[in-house]
Amino acid sequence: MRPAIRRRPFLPLFVTPAVLVAAAIVAAMAAILRYSLQAYVPGSLDVGGFTLENFADLGRPIVLRALRDTVLICFETALITLVVGYPVAYALVRTRSILLKSIILVTAVTPLFLGEVVRTYAWTVVLGNTGFVNATLRQIGVIERPIQLMFTEFGVIIALVHVTLPVMVIMLAAALAHIDRDYERAAQSLGAGPVRAFLTVTLPLSMPGVVAGFTTAFAWTFSAFATPQVIGGGKVSVVSTLVYQLGLSSFNFPVAASLSLAGLVLALGTMWVVRRAARPLEALGGH
Amino acid sequence: MLSKAADLSLPARPPGTSASPRGTPAVRLDGVVKRFGAVTALEETWLQVEQGEFLTLLGPSGCGKTTLLNLMAGFLEADAGEIFIGGDLVTATPPYEREIGIVFQNYALFPHMNVAKNVGYGLRMRGVPKREIARRVDEALALVKLSGFADRSPRQLSGGQQQRVALARALVIQPKVLLLDEPFSALDKNLRGSMQVELKEIQRRLGVTTVFVTHDQGEALSMSDRIVVMSAGRVRQVGTPDQVYRHPQDRFVAGFIGDVNRLPGRLEACAGERATVAIRDLRRDVEATALRDCAAGAEVDVFVRPDHLGVRPAGEAGSLPACVAALVYQGSHIDLYADLADGGRVLVRMPGQGALATYAPGTPVGILVPQGGLVAFPPEP
Repeated sequence: MRPAIRRRPFLPLFVTPAVLVAAAIVAAMAAILRYSLQAYVPGSLDVGGFTLENFADLGRPIVLRALRDTVLICFETALITLVVGYPVAYALVRTRSILLKSIILVTAVTPLFLGEVVRTYAWTVVLGNTGFVNATLRQIGVIERPIQLMFTEFGVIIALVHVTLPVMVIMLAAALAHIDRDYERAAQSLGAGPVRAFLTVTLPLSMPGVVAGFTTAFAWTFSAFATPQVIGGGKVSVVSTLVYQLGLSSFNFPVAASLSLAGLVLALGTMWVVRRAARPLEALGGH
Repeated sequence: MLSKAADLSLPARPPGTSASPRGTPAVRLDGVVKRFGAVTALEETWLQVEQGEFLTLLGPSGCGKTTLLNLMAGFLEADAGEIFIGGDLVTATPPYEREIGIVFQNYALFPHMNVAKNVGYGLRMRGVPKREIARRVDEALALVKLSGFADRSPRQLSGGQQQRVALARALVIQPKVLLLDEPFSALDKNLRGSMQVELKEIQRRLGVTTVFVTHDQGEALSMSDRIVVMSAGRVRQVGTPDQVYRHPQDRFVAGFIGDVNRLPGRLEACAGERATVAIRDLRRDVEATALRDCAAGAEVDVFVRPDHLGVRPAGEAGSLPACVAALVYQGSHIDLYADLADGGRVLVRMPGQGALATYAPGTPVGILVPQGGLVAFPPEP
């Protein structure tokens, strides 16, 4: 090793911001942890002495249901986003027309540019009983009475898919772009039609991207707040909305803190399980 | 071989006259054209690959050789003309129905399958029974000397081994044509030579029609039955390696195949098949074909191979005055660079070691221009 390589003058410059961010996160987490271990004093913003009762409170049916629904909603959202996003990412990577590429990219990424609240209220317009979806379906005579989309889990999932899609498309596109086109050509020259070439070569090779996209979508959805709050309208209770309710409506900071921690543990745990389960899939595309 | 002689009269062979003494050609291109936007990647091309032939598409990058290969494979659609494989019209047939085998430049072995699965892929796509697949994969691996590698992952193989797997995978489906897209370019030089010999051996043994794309004229000369020399989207010449090397039909071919010297000359007379050119005060005979449009007295470029030139003591009759510029030891031979008195540098390739002592740089010499082996073309416009 030459000494010139060992000396990295820029290192402190690069590491400092990361350290600051990490310190802020650690401090916030420590505060939450502290709150979760202190007693709730009704009618006061101050907290009492050390207790484990807040965690016992998590065993209440309403909390357990919220935890379960959160995982289910995140799972379904990630799955639907994957199914919808894959063809978009594929088209994005494979189309030769620059114009079409730009159109796909802009359309797919736009949800990221809209604020969460703006986007969510737009969905209330679309999903409402007199909204775009119901009006259109009634106009063409598919339904007589409006279907309830607002304030349902299904409505929440639709809106969550919309905001998760950009992340999924970008991650899948990155994975697909890494797959040499010659693999597909080789498959075709060996007698595989486009569908079979895709199923036997491209899809397995894109598995690492699929797994990464799925877990990211899952985590992305887990932290969503405005969407379940507004579209769910109190009828759909997930971890984030329940924390909000407990913390900022009831001012029960300690239980809100313990529920936050429980949510974090649940999210990490589920993602760990998903990654574990997906390991054989990922190995398919290990190249 | 009548057909080969006839091919020398390219570029245009009229349609319908492609009857071949060896029966249906393996591949036939009738007036195929390919454009990318405003750029014509391949101008109207008439070409025929005979059964069992090893045909090389040779040219610099961007000459249209890869376009031509992709048209045969079906990865590109022709803008005009028809393509036949084994007598069947395939112009509009997708690649997966063309019964072709391709070895890609980067081999494109499926990284998520082991060697046996890679080789058996084409057979699985054809619905061949499992036991027969196993047998034929074994045979194919034996053919490329990779028995015992069936369970390896492509990642665990060297470049040469990967290439063998790619070859086995392409051959196991018994393709009507084997297409090779610069398969040696990723190998190091020593391995390249032995793989060339081996590929040629396998090709000859199986008698599989092969179209080989390369920019390496050495590869083309050593492996091919016939070479198609291409440049700027056009076929310049089709012929055996010897024909292309010794009787280039235009100045591109003369300059591209092998090392060559260009000497300034003057056309003296053109009579029938032969023409006389003067290089300084030396009169030499050349083929007249390329000079038909030139008037007597016109300037021409005379091309001569480095190994056809000789070095003599200065002032010897029949030689051009020059001065040794550099000597380069090449092992089996010596390259002598000399500056002509009239300007311009020539390369003389000499066997033997004696020259190293005899011709030190700066020595005045005479460059001996042979009577035969010269070709002349009009100067570049």
